[in-house]
Amino acid sequence: MDTAVQTRPSPLKLFVERRFPLEMNVTLPEIRALYESGKAGRWNPLRDISWDALGVDDYDPPVREAARRAWSRRVWVEATGLTETPALLMRFCMEAHREIDPKFYLTVRNTEEAWHVECFDRLAEAFGGRIVRPGSKAYEAVFNQNLPRRVLNADQHLDAYVAVHAAFEDGLELELYRAWRRAAKNPVIASVLDHIISDKERHAAFGWLYLGIRAPHWSETERKLISEELVRHVNEVELQGYHCPWLAPEHAGAEAEAEAVLAANGLGATGRSEEEDVIVSYVANARQKLAELGIKLPVFETNRMRAF
Amino acid sequence: MALSRDMSMEQAVEMVETLLDGPESRFPLSFNSDLPRIRELFHTATRSQWDPQKDIDWDKLDPDAYTQEQRDAARLYWSRRAWSEYGAISESPALQVRFGVEKRPSDMQLFFTIRSQEEARHAEVCHAMAERLGGYVEKPVEELFQGSVSTHGVRRAALSADIPLEGIIAALVCTAEEIAFDVFKHLDRVTRDPVAKQIVRFIMRDESRHCAFGWYFLEAICDTLDNEQKKMIEDSVVTMMEKVELNGYHSAWLAPPNPASNAEVEADRITYEAGLGATVEEAEKPVFIATVQRIRDQMRPLGINLPPFSHPKLGTI
Repeated sequence: MDTAVQTRPSPLKLFVERRFPLEMNVTLPEIRALYESGKAGRWNPLRDISWDALGVDDYDPPVREAARRAWSRRVWVEATGLTETPALLMRFCMEAHREIDPKFYLTVRNTEEAWHVECFDRLAEAFGGRIVRPGSKAYEAVFNQNLPRRVLNADQHLDAYVAVHAAFEDGLELELYRAWRRAAKNPVIASVLDHIISDKERHAAFGWLYLGIRAPHWSETERKLISEELVRHVNEVELQGYHCPWLAPEHAGAEAEAEAVLAANGLGATGRSEEEDVIVSYVANARQKLAELGIKLPVFETNRMRAF
Repeated sequence: MALSRDMSMEQAVEMVETLLDGPESRFPLSFNSDLPRIRELFHTATRSQWDPQKDIDWDKLDPDAYTQEQRDAARLYWSRRAWSEYGAISESPALQVRFGVEKRPSDMQLFFTIRSQEEARHAEVCHAMAERLGGYVEKPVEELFQGSVSTHGVRRAALSADIPLEGIIAALVCTAEEIAFDVFKHLDRVTRDPVAKQIVRFIMRDESRHCAFGWYFLEAICDTLDNEQKKMIEDSVVTMMEKVELNGYHSAWLAPPNPASNAEVEADRITYEAGLGATVEEAEKPVFIATVQRIRDQMRPLGINLPPFSHPKLGTI
């Protein structure tokens, strides 16, 4: 076979949408409640945060430099939602028999992600200017997961995707944000994190609620598949420093160092040992919840932290 | 409804070449406001959020004030509006994905996040109105009409690297949404029921931003396009007009005459006469023609020259 042909990207397998009958009545009231709560809890980053109180000049240049890198990194993470959430919404719309409530809910989630990006970007700019890419190409690759393609691919099991990215990952994010908030001394950053945590509580709740609704219908094969995708995510994304750069100092050293400085100055981060505790505690809880859904999550071992 | 994976397995799939087929390359990642007017639309939308549950005076709706025939017609009309708004939830997010993949100004992505939420609110409020009038109808009365309301092909176009984004926005936003916006303005004038009128006004307010997005984008980009690219935009608009709008996507009376579209048109007439929100051919026709002429006039200075459009019920516009 011709090499050029071998390396040509493969086309995407998409569901052909069957729009009618179009169910719009509430079928998943708990998910609809998240949508309603999201609308009721709307906020405005420009109006609801007292940006003038940030006090950038109170921090030494090395601290400001670390802060711009750390908040830039959070832009890189949060910006994932600007393409991933619309793709997930499309998938829910394209796959037959998916309920209306998650579709409505995801539109609110995406607006919230946009607000988060705007806040993080504003912080990075205030501390000296956004940094547009990671310090190393290897770390860039951790972000370039092409999640829109993955979720739109009809061969991707949607519930497995939700398990990894909407339940497990959003749940971990929520716990990390809570830890960062506890350590935040700067009032503006604390306020930003308070608003974001309120949103992320819904984001994590969505994933776990949806799994609970779907779980009774999974076969053993599907449960095994979900477990495999979770393991792959932890190994290929989390342990590569996606959320916690200290887990991958070989390619995220600059970002890990910036987070440490941020933590030492109360600017919305926490130390490595506290983050390790968050991961251990969260994964233990997630393992328990997954077990109740019939999904086995193994213990993860790495030379970067204790087994979790 | 049973949640069975077998249902999904029965669903047809297609292999499509998309702009997602290559590896992702999100860096450098910029959030500069390169299109500040669109960033401002995002901020305005953030300030202007509303909630169908709380901001509509539902207790002012008195279904008993209408006959059974009027309620049945109106619930079909509002159901149809809900299907149309749902189309934007289902398909337009593909544009947002494309903005990201093509590294378009971040203002566009940010605005589209809230635009999709607004579309959800529109679908929600239209569904709620249909429910209060006797019950939401989950599909067209006759299958024949599904072709007119099921899709306008945005998703496929948005994911295709071969179809320029400028053409999609010109067709979807500056054409289809402009038509929808002018119809809403017209509905605001002819709708008498206070709740129906309130719904129309809330939706219209959001739609004005949706339309502005399209024009702000086109005005910013058109100076950089050559004649061939502008011709592709023209082709996209022509396709939207001929295959979607003139096929009855927004206005049932424009759909090819058949028992299905006739039933929809009749429901619209009864709803219109009751003042519950619809319009009819003779009232909407001049609005539609004026809108198309205005779109043509607005595109001309951008170097986009639309041809005449013909339809048996409209003549040549």
